[in-house]
Amino acid sequence: MISYEWTSGVIGLLIAGTILFLVRRRRLHGPYALWWLGVSAAILLISLFPQLVNQVAYRLGISYPPILSVLIGIGLLLVKILTMDIERSRQELRVRRLTQRLGILDAEIAQIKDRIHRTSPATVPFPPGNANQQMGESATDAPRENEC
Amino acid sequence: MDPENPQLGQLLVVVPAHNEEDSLADVLKTTKEFGYCVVVVDDASEDNTGRIARNEGALLIPLANRLGAWGATQAGLRYARARGAGIVVTLDADGQHEPAHIHELTAPLLVGTADVVIGSCPIRVSRLRRWAWHYFRWLTGLNAHDLTSGFRAYNRHAVTVLSSSDAALLDYQDVGVLMLMRAEGLRVQEVPVEIGSRRNGISRVFPSWWVVARYMLETTVLCVSHLHIPGSRRGDDRATVATRDAPRRHP
Repeated sequence: MISYEWTSGVIGLLIAGTILFLVRRRRLHGPYALWWLGVSAAILLISLFPQLVNQVAYRLGISYPPILSVLIGIGLLLVKILTMDIERSRQELRVRRLTQRLGILDAEIAQIKDRIHRTSPATVPFPPGNANQQMGESATDAPRENEC
Repeated sequence: MDPENPQLGQLLVVVPAHNEEDSLADVLKTTKEFGYCVVVVDDASEDNTGRIARNEGALLIPLANRLGAWGATQAGLRYARARGAGIVVTLDADGQHEPAHIHELTAPLLVGTADVVIGSCPIRVSRLRRWAWHYFRWLTGLNAHDLTSGFRAYNRHAVTVLSSSDAALLDYQDVGVLMLMRAEGLRVQEVPVEIGSRRNGISRVFPSWWVVARYMLETTVLCVSHLHIPGSRRGDDRATVATRDAPRRHP
């Protein structure tokens, strides 16, 4: 039978490896990786020093030490979820303000093009079209979802 | 020359700026004296940076949110790519970079020996930062002498690569960007230039020790996750940094 030190050690290493892989593939933004690497480091620490949980639990008056790890894990997950919601709220605010600003800019660009076209059609710098085409994308390159 | 309608293949100077009202006007005046088209990317400044840029005749890209030095630089690169600029030079708004050196940066691009040229002055930094560079060079295998210089010139191919979403989540213009250049096989050359000190005090990128500590941790994670595998995909050992001359030492 495999000891739990090996099991938790392997789990910690797998988490660390997965996080680094996700950062390498640009699926996970580097600063967010720090939290998860901290989690894997904590798991590795417990696997290397299994008596640590028992000692801390004893000092805190917890009669069943393994439940301390579970409690801490659940607590950290709650903190993580809460901070994610706070960050999402901040991003939601930014997305809404950006969307409004883009809409305003699109309207102003359309007005300017229209004014130029009416006054001197021969000198229109860009053909009528949507603003995305001005950013180097051809008409056949539909923007991917979440791609600006 | 009009930065709003540059001629195809023209050189565009991109100046990312955040709260640089003290030095921006001088930087823009000097740059325009050499006849360059200038684009200022205002990184959500809270002072008169944007107004000064407009008054000095630069094209202004005002960002709605603060993106940081690299995010602002990338906005300028995307604009340059959309307008068909042939060469893009980035320089800081704090007066550290001399526009007189731009022609030295662009020379290797014009003869086709490099895709990116870095204006290098490693002796300008503190011992602590030099230690940090040594550490990141060891982690990544990068051989650039100056990892953080923002005084760079890019050709059209490099602009295309660095405008892409692959570079969008980078927070700094140093190690992460250099590793991406290597992965994409860009030829990078360093040219020694003189880089002065900031005209006004505090770094916008590293305003406190806490920020420096976070930067070290986050960049370490980035380096470890992008461990260089020689011969992998587009990257290979051709894309190392070539230094034209040894860095100058001041007496």
